[in-house]
Amino acid sequence: MDTYLQITTVVGVYVAGVVFVAGMGWRIYQWATTPKSPVRLGMFPKPKTRGGRIIKMLKDTLIAPHSARIEPRMWLFAMMFHVAALAAFVGHLRLIQEYPILPELLGAEGMNAFAGWAGGIAGTLMMVAVLYWIARRTFGPFKQLSVPEDYLLLALLLGVIIMGNHMRFIGHVHAADYREWFQSLLAFKPVIPDSIRFSNVGWSLGTHMLFVNALLIYFPFSKLVHTIGSFSANLVRSE
Amino acid sequence: MSDDIKVDLELDLKGLLCPLPMVRVSQNITNVPVGGVIRAVATDPGAMADIPAWAQSTGNEIMSAGKEGSEFVFLVKRVK
Amino acid sequence: MDSQQITTLTGVLDKKMNRQLKQYLDICARCAICKDACHQYVATGDFTYLPARRAELIRQIYKKYFTKTGEFVPALYEARDPDENLLDELYESTYACTGCRRCMYYCPFSIDTAWILSVAKAILIAAGRGNEMLGQLADAAIFKSDNFDMFRDVIVSGFKDIEAELKELTGDPSAEIPVDKKGADILYVALAGAHSILPAAAIFHEAGTSWTLSMFESANYGFFFGDAEKARKIADRFMDEAVRLGVKEVVITECGHAYRVANIFHEAWTGKKHPFKVRHILEVIDEYIKDGRLKVSRCIDVPVSYHDPCQVGRNGGIFEQPRDIVRALATDFRDMTPNREQQWCCGGGGGIVAISEMDAFRLKSGKKKVEQIRATGAKIVASPCENCRLQMEGLNETEDLGVRIAAIMDLVIECMDLPGRKQAAEGA
Ligand code: HEM
Ligand code: SF4
Ligand code: SF4
Repeated sequence: MDTYLQITTVVGVYVAGVVFVAGMGWRIYQWATTPKSPVRLGMFPKPKTRGGRIIKMLKDTLIAPHSARIEPRMWLFAMMFHVAALAAFVGHLRLIQEYPILPELLGAEGMNAFAGWAGGIAGTLMMVAVLYWIARRTFGPFKQLSVPEDYLLLALLLGVIIMGNHMRFIGHVHAADYREWFQSLLAFKPVIPDSIRFSNVGWSLGTHMLFVNALLIYFPFSKLVHTIGSFSANLVRSE
Repeated sequence: MSDDIKVDLELDLKGLLCPLPMVRVSQNITNVPVGGVIRAVATDPGAMADIPAWAQSTGNEIMSAGKEGSEFVFLVKRVK
Repeated sequence: MDSQQITTLTGVLDKKMNRQLKQYLDICARCAICKDACHQYVATGDFTYLPARRAELIRQIYKKYFTKTGEFVPALYEARDPDENLLDELYESTYACTGCRRCMYYCPFSIDTAWILSVAKAILIAAGRGNEMLGQLADAAIFKSDNFDMFRDVIVSGFKDIEAELKELTGDPSAEIPVDKKGADILYVALAGAHSILPAAAIFHEAGTSWTLSMFESANYGFFFGDAEKARKIADRFMDEAVRLGVKEVVITECGHAYRVANIFHEAWTGKKHPFKVRHILEVIDEYIKDGRLKVSRCIDVPVSYHDPCQVGRNGGIFEQPRDIVRALATDFRDMTPNREQQWCCGGGGGIVAISEMDAFRLKSGKKKVEQIRATGAKIVASPCENCRLQMEGLNETEDLGVRIAAIMDLVIECMDLPGRKQAAEGA
């Protein structure tokens, strides 16, 4: 158990962090150094000003109104997933530092209860969305379009989410303990607090991190680079 | 004109707009044997330049191209 | 598949690689949101025509030869060689694509599948699998300009015949179709046939325009074939003419792809800015009507609808002028749903009308357009693109739509006060 945790929640995190940052950097470097197409690929109607183009790009990327019109259900689940993922990301920032103001407003108990609810909802929505995606890919009339990469990513995501939810719904460990672990990683003096090691969710954290690390390592080499690429590709639309 | 030439295929391209007359001739050229002749009648004046240009760039031969009333008549020989 | 051929084909991909293409190949989520945007996929349900699938074939080559992960774990991406099987499917899906870019409109990342397929065409050409008919049409056009002396007399005498019709139509014996006129304001680039020259000449005559007719047609089969070099040469024919004559603007006839090539592609291909404006004839006519330079009456009282050609609307930016013209001519204008940038492709673009093996498929792919036209209840469907009109005439026949497919200029002519209209309408 200790070795498992040592690998997934300490060594693995460092490796994944390095691969992720370097990989994304490499990907962006490649994009930036490949010359642009001399042909303008924009379509009409397009905004006339630079500001207008940027606003349109943000709207197209963050809300995808055109996709909403053509396949509303897919759009809904995709929105659900991405917004919940963003919320989960924001929630995880508590691992680095507790948010200001909120705990004072809600009290320590209140804060944990709020985080519990918010995190629980986000986790559930993400799980539902990923299950929908898997079903749509597996049973849709265009199922031949999917390649193993698609399923691998969805499987990794599902793993991350299920184990995250497991910790949230089953565990009794509080954010402060996870924060202690995460901050120790950031300080390069890793410790796994006993409150986690000997809890009923120690192995869930280990497995959560196993999936997270795998996802982060694969991320820069997968279609998930759309996280960044979608902004520039949508900007090309109004060039 | 040219009554003595044996025509292997007659193509009625009247009413077709450019470049369709050229397209039809090109599609049908393999329907005649090498050395065979297509007689094509078109009404689009663009064909007067297009069909000869097609023949030359594909290495076929225009035996004659001329205007008869409001129609353009071509004799095209398959060379290869 | 020998390694020599693989080197050649991946070399083409390498040469064509640019930032947009790379991003498109990297980021597509294979979410298949684009499937319902494509008239061909919607009409057939055939996987080959799903936009993302068409691009996926190029992505498979890209993954295998341009990414490390694809090289080491090809199975993850179904990455593979550009072998005969791949090229077979690529040929079918690439030359079928009309380049309408409706899929790009709906894609959450705005992935330009048609652009990816333009690279696919370059690969097919390098493999000796470019579409033969489109290639022949392109070569014939280039041959015509390289050996122009051979054709000049025939072309000019064709113009003279149209000029005779023009005199009759306008009732003005001094009416003319000028060619090679230095210092004219407008170089008008028509199609090869009379139908695109006579109405414009009558309109220019009425509006008192200083214009000259290009010796060359605007249609560009090099573009459809997928050879940028040939496409540039074909467009150069009239672009060089425009420079030589010193005109203020080049005006393209009612043709979709020719307008986009002239307006958007040509400068990028040559790397030089045009010393003149490029406009579509409908922009000019709309201006004439609004300025009162061209008098038209509202002479059409059957319902009229308008189809946005993809290369004029979504990809060319002209939405309102044609509608304004039609409204000036007809009492009952009915737009299709959806319209403008969301307009369904009719299925006739991309040179597919010249590929006879695809005729049956092409007519089948017009299913959405048929539904749209029926829903308007229009008796006339106007559209400023030759390929669209050919396709819709085909649909009109096979589906018994009972409509008249018209060019906008033809409708304009009918609503102008021209003494010789009757005879000319029959002759055209
Ligand atoms: C600003 C950041 C992001 C934007 C704008 C964005 C946008 C999108 C869009 C528009 C789609 C495509 C289709 C759709 O589902 O509607 C998509 C798909 C997807 N995104 Fe994101 N995304 C972002 C970040 C992320 C992140 C961080 C993850 C993973 C943790 C992610 C995972 C996915 C997955 C797995 C799919 C594919 C769904 C499928 O399998 O069909 N995205 N994203
Ligand atoms: S909609 Fe865009 S991202 Fe989705 S599969 Fe189609 S091309 Fe790829
Ligand atoms: S450009 Fe048009 S025809 Fe081609 S794949 Fe996209 S929607 Fe289909």
